[in-house]
Amino acid sequence: MNALDLRSVSKSFGGKRVLDDMSFSVPEHCVFGFVGTNGAGKTTTMKMILGLLKADCGEIDVYGERVSFGATKTNRLIGYLPDVPEFYGYMRPKQYLGLCAEIAGLDEKSAQPRIAELLDLVGLSDANRKIGGFSRGMKQRLGVAQALIGDPKLLICDEPTSALDPVGRKEILDILRKIKAKTTVVFSTHILSDVERICDRVAVLNKGKIVLESAMGDLKLQEKSTSFTFEFNREIATDEILRVLRENNLEPIKYETAEHTIESLFLGVAK
Amino acid sequence: MLNELGQYLPFLIPIAVIQLALTVAAVIHILRHDTYRFGNRALWLVVSICVNVIGPILYFSIGKGED
Amino acid sequence: MRQFLAFSKKEFHESAATFRLYILLGLFVMFGMMSPLLAKLTPEIIKSLGDTGMMISVHEPTSLDAWAQFFHNVGQMGMLVLIIVFCGTMSNELSKGTLVNLLTKGMKRHTVIASKMFASSVLWTFAYLLCFGAGFAYTAYFWDIGELPHALLAFAAPWLFGELLLATHVFGGTLFGNIYGSLLSCIGAVILMNLLSILPGASKYNPVTLSGGTLPLLSGAGKPSDFIPAVLICAAAVVLLTAGSIVMFNRKKM
Repeated sequence: MNALDLRSVSKSFGGKRVLDDMSFSVPEHCVFGFVGTNGAGKTTTMKMILGLLKADCGEIDVYGERVSFGATKTNRLIGYLPDVPEFYGYMRPKQYLGLCAEIAGLDEKSAQPRIAELLDLVGLSDANRKIGGFSRGMKQRLGVAQALIGDPKLLICDEPTSALDPVGRKEILDILRKIKAKTTVVFSTHILSDVERICDRVAVLNKGKIVLESAMGDLKLQEKSTSFTFEFNREIATDEILRVLRENNLEPIKYETAEHTIESLFLGVAK
Repeated sequence: MLNELGQYLPFLIPIAVIQLALTVAAVIHILRHDTYRFGNRALWLVVSICVNVIGPILYFSIGKGED
Repeated sequence: MRQFLAFSKKEFHESAATFRLYILLGLFVMFGMMSPLLAKLTPEIIKSLGDTGMMISVHEPTSLDAWAQFFHNVGQMGMLVLIIVFCGTMSNELSKGTLVNLLTKGMKRHTVIASKMFASSVLWTFAYLLCFGAGFAYTAYFWDIGELPHALLAFAAPWLFGELLLATHVFGGTLFGNIYGSLLSCIGAVILMNLLSILPGASKYNPVTLSGGTLPLLSGAGKPSDFIPAVLICAAAVVLLTAGSIVMFNRKKM
């Protein structure tokens, strides 16, 4: 069964068509990257899946159950991380997750171990101060924890890494990778390297339509291209690569060492 | 006159204490935090000190920013 | 029910964390204490002005003067404090977006409104009881309380008007989604009611009469039937505003 199905969904805001007859499916147990430029309609799509916005037409199913606007029952299957999760600044992480657990209907006995487990997962076990003083990265991680409190089958994250520095981004991606075995993850982003790092499937949204939907493996082999990025599991001298290419009659017109090296440098010194 | 007022001091003191406590609490909070929903530190200090009762509660409910 | 209790608990926690609880209780105790004292001191102050050569006749203050001060303080300053202190209950949640996490966990929207009204009503009721208690104790200390005809109606009236202000805040906050919308709708409603009270004969039906206008009941100059229509209209308005907030919130895009 698919975790998520959208069929012919359209949405306009004040005459401007944001989503136009959009359809896509997310199979179970995958990390699904939902890619599009800022303003492409990613957040609108997610809010409609959660019943926070009403679709003008079309159908949305979560695990075969129809989503309705307002208090939708399908939300018990979904965990949601908004693009900028907002908390009550005067609470501590445990208190906040306690509130979430009660709202989500967890019984008291299972709530405490679940909260401890989640705080451990997102690396906030020792952060016992008020949420108001948290950094963006910490808030985002707490956001993942609150989204997972009810053990959802589907986790929807709206641009979880966009506002974070490389360290924070890596932490969030590592968490998403960890939960992949139990939970289907849909996350929107405009950072393509994040998609490459953890996604199994990807859909590209442009001008209100899905212009590409594919498994990551297929995507890479699908077409000929004039531009490639390779990553090796050991250090290689640039000359060596160029020599191999020339021996095979391939003459690159441009090469650069990947941004990853700068990033790994940053990650190394920022630890 | 003063003698007559003096006999009411035990009753006036709690009232003065509450008002003073409110103003002092607001002033301390303003000095310790520098984010405001609008306005700036000087404005809120003036409002809290000069406008009795209403000034401090205006600060606490619409002036102070997030923690 | 569990969501209602959990969210109400969060509301009380928030009241303490944002000082709302302490401000409300402190100030209303103060209003209660101030009233008899002002009644006692006003003639003294006027007398001392009299020393400068003016001739003013002042009557010896009575417990009724204390209650007049009580209704005046609660009805004016008290309501202003209430308006300012509670203006953020609904609007802050919407402008900050703090409800999104909870709503997507299956929190019922009507439960949000119900718990907001419940929690702020409990706070207000408690503050008003303390205010009345302090006023009563000080008045009893200075004077013989004597008989208080129709005391329940007379003293419950400002409380009911306070409930109307709370419901207006929830309504305005839900409608506009920001603190200014909430404040403006509440202040606007009070101004409108005050304008309406200029109309001859309207005060009998006007909820604003309840905010400090019930002294005649205690003095014997008024009878309950002068105030019952306003009480009924005020109570109906509280119920309608709360129900309206729920309907509006159910349709609100988040």
